[in-house]
Amino acid sequence: MKVAVMSCIHGNYEALNAVLSDIDDQSADKIYCLGDLVGYGSHPNAVVEMIRALDIPTCQGCWDEDIVEGLNSCECSYPSVLAEKRGKLAHEWTNQVIHPEVREFLAQLPLSLRDDNLCFVHGSPHNQHEYLLPEVDAFVAMERILATGADILFCGHTHVPYVRSLDAGQLQIRVQSTGKSEEMSFSAPLKRIVNAGSVGEPRHGRPNATYVIYDTDADQITLREVEYDYQKTCDAIIKNGLPPIFAWRLARGLEFAERADDPTHVCER
Amino acid sequence: MQPLNITLVAGPPGAGKTTWIRQQVHTAAEPVIYLSLGAGETTLDPTYLAAEVPELTVLPAVQLTNFLERPPVGCVVYLELGFYIDLTSLVLPNQMADCRRVAVLPPGTRHTEWHDWADLVVTGAETAIPLQQAHFWRSVLTGQVLDSASLNTFWYELTYGAYGNVQRTKGIFDIADGRAFYFDFTKGLSRSNPVELNLPRCLNGRPDRLSGIEIVGEALDQETIAQTLKDCCLEEQAIVHYQQQIKDLIEQGEEVG
Repeated sequence: MKVAVMSCIHGNYEALNAVLSDIDDQSADKIYCLGDLVGYGSHPNAVVEMIRALDIPTCQGCWDEDIVEGLNSCECSYPSVLAEKRGKLAHEWTNQVIHPEVREFLAQLPLSLRDDNLCFVHGSPHNQHEYLLPEVDAFVAMERILATGADILFCGHTHVPYVRSLDAGQLQIRVQSTGKSEEMSFSAPLKRIVNAGSVGEPRHGRPNATYVIYDTDADQITLREVEYDYQKTCDAIIKNGLPPIFAWRLARGLEFAERADDPTHVCER
Repeated sequence: MQPLNITLVAGPPGAGKTTWIRQQVHTAAEPVIYLSLGAGETTLDPTYLAAEVPELTVLPAVQLTNFLERPPVGCVVYLELGFYIDLTSLVLPNQMADCRRVAVLPPGTRHTEWHDWADLVVTGAETAIPLQQAHFWRSVLTGQVLDSASLNTFWYELTYGAYGNVQRTKGIFDIADGRAFYFDFTKGLSRSNPVELNLPRCLNGRPDRLSGIEIVGEALDQETIAQTLKDCCLEEQAIVHYQQQIKDLIEQGEEVG
């Protein structure tokens, strides 16, 4: 069985269409979406309507949460004051144009999804805002997977696709109680973190959309990069009154804002 | 009276006028005095040279008249002319009638007004700036403290063409930890890292030393550049907060970047 996993569409309808078409070409049996359907891009309603119409199981992303709950995180969530101002502009714009039924749909999205030994989240199993970067400490990475009970953890949020295997993981602990000390050892079988990249807001230096396909029979993960008419998306951004710098950055695969300096930091407000 | 040893230096933006003057300072046996003409209130080059070349005496352009009336004995003077100064209409005071005229020009430059004007043509850096369509834009940022992550994003966007075709730009910016940095970009030349200026850390409110930016380019979106720069600036509360953090670190004997 082929499972397609996509994330971080960010209101980019052209990119979503291109990815759905590629998924069709790859004859995927199932599709999962890891959230961030809205934010920055100029077609949030159309993107959500497409996801709903195709009945794609989707978990809630941080932008989806912010549109439902209101922007509550403080400046520590942003890598710079410029990114904060741009992020707030995008949030306000999206908040104004979003349809009530779309907001309701985003509100009822689950934080994680399970399918046998696969788990799907937006950022990490603990928080939609947490970044699981490829270089995150192995202990932290292993803890995040073990917390789900799954063998493969699919996530998004960083916008850079990757596959990380955690092989032959061993954990040794010493438990001390009155008068005696006991050593315990745990072994973890092969676990993997798969980041699906971003459909609508790539930051890998090219404007192409990315997603992944997992072939359960061959136990093979394929990162897909899909070209689309990004100029159309850029034109729509400008036409709809979003800051032109979003279009300029999108066309260069730079993300609309920027990545956090300390991506493991999560606002606790 | 002994004639003044004055050299006027002209040339297009990015050709290396300031760099050439800096080289002369290092080889000069006498004390060197520097003035920049036409820079108005955004005197970035003098500020940069004053911070980076301690042996150089930098005088504000407004002091030129006084300086010529009572020139110091036994020193050499370099006067840098902004590229936007019309050389044919430049009227020099009598004391400067015998000054040397140097044009710093990109390699291969021929038959320009600088050639007609100069006594000596120095081959500078390669630039391909068509001045016919070029716009010059500058902004004074004195008193503003910029968030360094935002500044890096702005500089990247500016120099990669997000706000128009920038051919030459330089800036002096104060950042949150109290340091000041000199940024410099010439299209076609390899990119250089910002240089930390040899100035005392400003940790007591808004700095009163000069900072600002100069841009030469085509089709510049000046409104967006100004707004983005504004968006990079820290508010009062944040400035106080960051400066206190640095002061605490210094007090604890910690090394600060």
